[in-house]
Amino acid sequence: MKFKRLFALLSAVALAGTALAKDIELLNVSYDPTRELYVDYNAAFAKYWKAKTGDTVSIKQSHGGSGKQARSVIDGLRADVVTLALAGDIDPISEVARLIPADWQKRLPHNASPYTSTIVFLVRKGNPKAIKDWDDLAKPGVAVITPNPKTSGGARWNYLAAWEFAKRKLGGDEQAKGFVAKLLKNVPVLDSGARGATTTFVQRGIGDVLISWENEAYLALKEFGADKFEIVTPSLSILAEPPVAVVEKVAKKKGTLAVATAYLEYLYSAEGQDIAGKHFYRPIDPKAAAKYAGQFAPIQLFTIDEAFGGWSKAQKIHFADGGTFDQIYLKQ
Amino acid sequence: MKPLNSAARTALFTALAAVSLTASLPAQTASAGDLDALREQIRQLDQKLRVLERNSELKEEAAVAASKKQPKLTVGDNRIEVVSADGANSLRLRALVQADARFYLDSATTGPGQNPANAQDGFLLRRARLIFEGKFNDNLQYTVVPEFGGTLQILDANVNAVVTPGFQIRVGRFKTPIGLEQLQSDPVAFFNERSIATNLTPNRDVGIQVWGELLDKRLSYAVGVFNGVLENGNSPTTSANTEGDFTTVGRLFATPFVNDKDSALKGLGFGIASGIGNSNGVATNTYKSDGQQDFFAYTSTTSAGRSLTVSPQAYYYTGPLGILAEYVSVTNELTRGTNTRQVTNTAYNLSAGYVLTGEDASYTGVSPRSSFKPSADTWGAFEVVGRVAQLDVDNDVFKGGTPLALSATNASKVTAYGAGLNWYLSKAVRANFDVTQNKFDFQGARPTSGILSDDELVFSTRFQVSF
Repeated sequence: MKFKRLFALLSAVALAGTALAKDIELLNVSYDPTRELYVDYNAAFAKYWKAKTGDTVSIKQSHGGSGKQARSVIDGLRADVVTLALAGDIDPISEVARLIPADWQKRLPHNASPYTSTIVFLVRKGNPKAIKDWDDLAKPGVAVITPNPKTSGGARWNYLAAWEFAKRKLGGDEQAKGFVAKLLKNVPVLDSGARGATTTFVQRGIGDVLISWENEAYLALKEFGADKFEIVTPSLSILAEPPVAVVEKVAKKKGTLAVATAYLEYLYSAEGQDIAGKHFYRPIDPKAAAKYAGQFAPIQLFTIDEAFGGWSKAQKIHFADGGTFDQIYLKQ
Repeated sequence: MKPLNSAARTALFTALAAVSLTASLPAQTASAGDLDALREQIRQLDQKLRVLERNSELKEEAAVAASKKQPKLTVGDNRIEVVSADGANSLRLRALVQADARFYLDSATTGPGQNPANAQDGFLLRRARLIFEGKFNDNLQYTVVPEFGGTLQILDANVNAVVTPGFQIRVGRFKTPIGLEQLQSDPVAFFNERSIATNLTPNRDVGIQVWGELLDKRLSYAVGVFNGVLENGNSPTTSANTEGDFTTVGRLFATPFVNDKDSALKGLGFGIASGIGNSNGVATNTYKSDGQQDFFAYTSTTSAGRSLTVSPQAYYYTGPLGILAEYVSVTNELTRGTNTRQVTNTAYNLSAGYVLTGEDASYTGVSPRSSFKPSADTWGAFEVVGRVAQLDVDNDVFKGGTPLALSATNASKVTAYGAGLNWYLSKAVRANFDVTQNKFDFQGARPTSGILSDDELVFSTRFQVSF
């Protein structure tokens, strides 16, 4: 038999084998407080994708501290997409592991952040320690719960929000450093992620105040009751822009690139934005943003670019080995 | 540190409060301010305790998470395995050792001196293999099997890329997908030796195969291109495709009821396999009896053109009963000097087994419910097996001035009967006791001496360790 015919035969079998694969599985590696958001969103996307293509897509979720999750992807966790807490956690997946193109933030609208959030305080009902703003967190006798910035993206937003508040109020970086040192001295437990910190504060009953993602604070209120906790909105906070990206190298290998891309693009759809709003994220679509604006208290927000020159710079100065966090925390 | 439960915590605080009250207010009633101070003191102690508990909890969580990142070593009765923390990479070590004894009970002689022709009575190490299996990145599997029994050789060495379960690509040296019993793993076959029908199927070859399971495991397929070997032969690993052409092999095997748990036909499988190729100048192989004696060998004959193998095949397993059947037809163009002929040899095999102790029989073997342990009054599993098989050599091979094989020294047809008892001492250890008779027919007169001077009757035993 001629080899060409054999090759044609094998190719035909190969195509047949591939054509039969109609079930698709994606892995979304995300950060801690997005569990509930993506449970709803995954169901909506699966329905949309089934109607559009006839294929059944199931999405597995993995959650943890954002930095820790990024490390897992770099170390080989086969994520099709990452939906992490900050761009600084996706950058190393691109730069170190080269699993994501360098221009990943330009591949989706709004710097690849389909929703935003900010940082607020969750306190116990009646606010017994009278916490109103950031400077109350550094007072003696106030126990503050915030996760570890080395492993948690949310904790890094917390840290930077506190830093910028102090810098503006006290006059400079040195003063800000002193303020953050005082605040960290009040932290009795350092969880590895935001969900763990919420557990510490809400379920284990530790601390007077939880520095929290806005959506996580509202979720805690909804889940555990407004009779037990209340939200305090500080005078100033940071605009958190959790970004998303397709892990292209992995998705290409798994043959899921198209569906993974569609999965993230659908976050920008009317349905995707509405689901984000329902889960107390701030939608970027004006219509959805207007619909859910009433559920958030007014707050003055600054961006990381304005205050710190972007994530890359902030990461280097504050959270890299030997950065300000290490300088403060290792001393304590 | 183990976190305290709420009852323990309450008891502790009560005790602390009592101690505080006793210490600070020995002889007077506490004022409201004192009580507030005490409440605050207790609150602070409560917080300290909670913090200690939570930190302990986090430490435990971190330890568990760290342990999950460690590779896992598993030592069991079917493998020794090291698996990476994420499960994507592994190395599994298995082994197969078969220690046999054979006793020839027939009267074959060498002739005038009347010496027994069957001089092979004795013990032998039939197979001694280390089996290395594993995977990289979850979907790249590999197998390397060195054979230490008999000729030292690499038996299997291949890589299997799993694109999907329905589409996999295997490259290297492995079993050619034709013979049903040949494809069955060595340690789980009904008898010590495969049936004489296996003489007509190729053994291991070097090539590439696309294969997989479709329709929720109801249909398996394999299509491969190999260097090509004649029946009962192995492709060498040391040279390329010397005769210059490839052999194409295809196999379809259906198990239509495999997912119907309650169906009586759940264990039914049937299919067909075929191989076709061209070769010139490749030496033919001998055919062996159940007692592993040569009953047929071509004389200075080599391949001279097309080879076609066709094998319809089926098995049926239900409860303790297992039946395996196959038919093989091989058509070869062969030459010896000026005598070139197309000859067709055929064979069939019908084997059955019944597990007396009630365990389920299957194509992949029997798993005993208990192991041999007299002190616990457990004896493992027992299976009786029976077989009838026949191999018929084309009469044309004995024709012509320079026949391809000599009728005076070769059987033209062999009918084999066998019965046996398999004792599964554990999942990994099995002892077999087989009696087989091979009845030889000839084109002319039966040889008066040599192994074919009488029908073969063999009692063979095997002690096998396979994990």
